[in-house]
Amino acid sequence: MTETDAYDHVTDDIAALIEDTELSRRLKERVYETIEEKADEHGGITTEQAADIITGVENRYLETRIEPLDPVGTVSAQSIGEPGTQMTMNTFHYAGVAEIDVTQGLPRLIELVDARKTPDTPMMTVHLEGEYATDREKAHEVVWSIESTRILALGDVSTNVADMLVRIDLNDETLLERWPTHSDPTEVAGIISETIEDALGVDTRQAGTVIEFGPNQPSYRELLQLVEQLRDVVFKGIEEVERVVIRKEQLEDGEEFVLYTEGSAFGDVLSIEGVDDTRTTCNNIHEIYRNLGVEAAREAIIDETMNTLEEQGLDDVNIRHLMLVADIMTNNGEIESIGRHGISGSKDSVLARAAFEVTVNHLLDAAVHGEYDELDGVIENVIAGKPVSIGTGDVDLRMGSRASGSGPADD
Amino acid sequence: MVNVTDHELVPDHELLDDPEAVEEVLAEYNVSKTDLPRIKRTDPALPDEAEPGDVVKIVRESRTTDQAIVYRLVIS
Repeated sequence: MTETDAYDHVTDDIAALIEDTELSRRLKERVYETIEEKADEHGGITTEQAADIITGVENRYLETRIEPLDPVGTVSAQSIGEPGTQMTMNTFHYAGVAEIDVTQGLPRLIELVDARKTPDTPMMTVHLEGEYATDREKAHEVVWSIESTRILALGDVSTNVADMLVRIDLNDETLLERWPTHSDPTEVAGIISETIEDALGVDTRQAGTVIEFGPNQPSYRELLQLVEQLRDVVFKGIEEVERVVIRKEQLEDGEEFVLYTEGSAFGDVLSIEGVDDTRTTCNNIHEIYRNLGVEAAREAIIDETMNTLEEQGLDDVNIRHLMLVADIMTNNGEIESIGRHGISGSKDSVLARAAFEVTVNHLLDAAVHGEYDELDGVIENVIAGKPVSIGTGDVDLRMGSRASGSGPADD
Repeated sequence: MVNVTDHELVPDHELLDDPEAVEEVLAEYNVSKTDLPRIKRTDPALPDEAEPGDVVKIVRESRTTDQAIVYRLVIS
């Protein structure tokens, strides 16, 4: 009982009462603190008053515990499903953080529980470390190594049909801005022309910041095709990331720059210099799974579903329901969707699967393979018209002719 | 190389290399090893020395209490 020494008003009697409860360590600590605080406010506390507080807390705690045979899954499904009916059905795009469109509402929730391989609107929140987070120039360096730079951002492209040539006039300022480590635009133009040679398989001629090249065989069609291909070549940054928005955000101690990206490539971004690889996240749970593992994916599912509900003003959904969903989705060591192709489709019972979706297929397959149903689940017994194995339905009472042992049972 | 265990989404993964410790856990919850949630051998957050059949102890920063301890069985 060393910890009671820290509190002036907690007597040994009160401490004994607290320690005697079924509360968890953390709740016990909070009861100690509350009693101490109240006693300070009112100049003392009697053992009776303390006992009232303690039993009050314990009763609430016991009330909120799940009872054996409680159908937690069904309760969770209802608790998420009902607010789901109030969510907006068709705000597919809505200006989210920093002018980036993010899918929200019901479509996003469905996307999450379906565990889609790629979200409708992938995005990343990139945090920066050290001076990259505080210095705007440095932060921009990171922006240029993430945002994909294509030829149209760097200069003008024109086609000379008479000489069968594509001519690129690069803009000196843009080159130096996007390649901050170089001081000579011609040098950068050299890098660009090399990239073009590699990507398109043509020979280029470079003079200053002007690059010219033509098709290997003079052909009007090839020339046009080259221009088309040229537009898709990524000269700097990550191909998947179309746009990066930089934003200054308030912290408890000062400010920092945070990048929001349209498109995501989580693994690539984590290894870029200046990126804080402990806080950067993305909204694609599969990318989180691949790079950080199942446990991180579980956290991400909880965060994403909770945020989706909160943004719709439905934040009174208890987080435990979402934690249960995330637990089930990651139970197997990888992300499984809720639904026909995931959890519901992998149930052991034929009848349970048939009751969900595509009834006939499941029954037919089961008949072909000679499957056997134990009838021990909920759905099977509803179908069979027998008591289900949850709640009072799973309790059997047995009355014997002999008196059971001496004294009352434990509970 | 990025150290994934430093990421704030990744809780601590600790290998239970003492068979007795594993038995204790299984006895506490009255389950067998295969009833535990799983984690892939290839999971990036897993300690390098973990082999299929091992049990890892995961200490999460819980949303409903301070810390939540869960166990996962390593599978191939």
